[in-house]
Amino acid sequence: MLKKARKERLIWLDIMMTLMALALMSYFYYGIRSAALCGICVAVSLVAEIISLRLMGRHFKADDLTCTSDALIFALMLPACMDYSIAVIASVFAVVVAKNVFGGRKNMIFSPAAAAYVFVLTSWGSKLLMFPEPHSRLGVFEKPDTLTHSASYSFNISGKLDYTDFEVLLGNFSGPAGSVSVLLLVISAVILIFRGDISAGAFLGSIVGTGLFAFIAPVGSSREDSLSYSLVTNMVLFASVYIIADKRIAPKREYFAIFYGLFVAVFAYTLVLTTAKENAIVMVSVLFTPVALGFKNLEKKISLAEQEELVKETEAADETAQEITEEAIVNE
Amino acid sequence: MNERRSSIFDGVLGDNAVLSGLMVISPVIICGNTIKNAEALICAFSAITFLSVLIASFVPKKLPYTVKVIIYALISSIVYLPVKNAAEKFYPDSITRIGIYFPLLAVNSLIILQSEARFFKMKKPRMLASLTFYIIGFDAVMLLTAFIRELLAYGTIRSKMADVNTLISGLGEPFGGFILLGLMCGAYRKIRSIARKEKNTGSDLNVSGK
Repeated sequence: MLKKARKERLIWLDIMMTLMALALMSYFYYGIRSAALCGICVAVSLVAEIISLRLMGRHFKADDLTCTSDALIFALMLPACMDYSIAVIASVFAVVVAKNVFGGRKNMIFSPAAAAYVFVLTSWGSKLLMFPEPHSRLGVFEKPDTLTHSASYSFNISGKLDYTDFEVLLGNFSGPAGSVSVLLLVISAVILIFRGDISAGAFLGSIVGTGLFAFIAPVGSSREDSLSYSLVTNMVLFASVYIIADKRIAPKREYFAIFYGLFVAVFAYTLVLTTAKENAIVMVSVLFTPVALGFKNLEKKISLAEQEELVKETEAADETAQEITEEAIVNE
Repeated sequence: MNERRSSIFDGVLGDNAVLSGLMVISPVIICGNTIKNAEALICAFSAITFLSVLIASFVPKKLPYTVKVIIYALISSIVYLPVKNAAEKFYPDSITRIGIYFPLLAVNSLIILQSEARFFKMKKPRMLASLTFYIIGFDAVMLLTAFIRELLAYGTIRSKMADVNTLISGLGEPFGGFILLGLMCGAYRKIRSIARKEKNTGSDLNVSGK
């Protein structure tokens, strides 16, 4: 039990460290405003978590700090110029409605960050999908003069990206504050997989599903462009690491996790291909929670059946051993 | 064991049809996003439910349950027709917006299920009083939900502009209605359990004081 709790805290620490690196990158591109946005989301989530836990008659423990990583994930999916009031409302929504109403940390149904993102998308879609240009360093209360559509938007419409591969790799293109730094995301994914902090199966399933379908049914005319850009746009990489591969939601067995990731990715890619919906993978990850729950139920049934079988085998072995002993005694 | 005695006022607070029984929630969630819609639904629901249950209370009790339920549905369908005509005169826009959920009021669970399980077990005057409070309970929740949703989603109160800085347009959508109603149900149950606990503690103290 103690080991499990410690493990949970270590996972949170690892995830926070990788998220902080992404937040630092977003500070580099968009200035102090993106850092302030992250800070506000984290602070509001923490306060909301403490208050809602108190209302539920529980005490705030170190493990409940996971709300801060969820808040940071959510903040990094927002444009750097997003209104603070919207960020506050969505952070409260993530903690109270998406998490604690369903029973809290131990009964997670969907990623609070993804649920909050979908909530913002439905209520303030126009503000969520307009972004400042990279290197437009904004002050804490500063608003950019011009906003542009994201690179994902142009890719979904035209199948092309007007950026060099180096720019794409460094995340030097318009999009959510922290989820475009491709190189950093790849490094984070590798670290988190090797440290066992995220579900490797769900991550691989999601990446393979998107890649495979991007190659089979390309968004534009070029299969190579479709393959490479489909993975780096629409927050596919970010969502694969921090939302789909979230160990609290993804199935525990890697075999099931692969299929879960694959289903989400294929459905999201189909949505992008047919409707050009931006960041469809986040919406689909919320919609596919019944699939994750279904897999988890199946896992429980399988473990139960395995335990029963083990008990039966042990009993049979005991009986055989007893018979042999009795025979040996009779022979003597 | 504390057995709670039922009261005729239960329909408003103690056992609200929407917040406690989760009955007739679809019109609240889908159509209760503006006060005008809510008013149209409240008038129609109140008239249809009151008249239907009142007329249905004269149906012989000896008939099989299945037959009685069909008769209740027929009675409410007949009551629905003049109510719909009247509602179209007073709320022409709202009725169009409410769509299929308006005729569905005629077969709401308060008429079809609760009439048999609750109201027809009472004497007529008590039944009418209890039914009235159940209807008032529904109306209050409908109005409150519509007020909150209209204010926060569209920044208006009965179509008049209110000073709201940040609008949450998602609250005007059905999923927003689900979330808001869910939160209201949770808050209602929490408050009710606290109130009952306090009441029980008070009555226990009185008993021990004797």
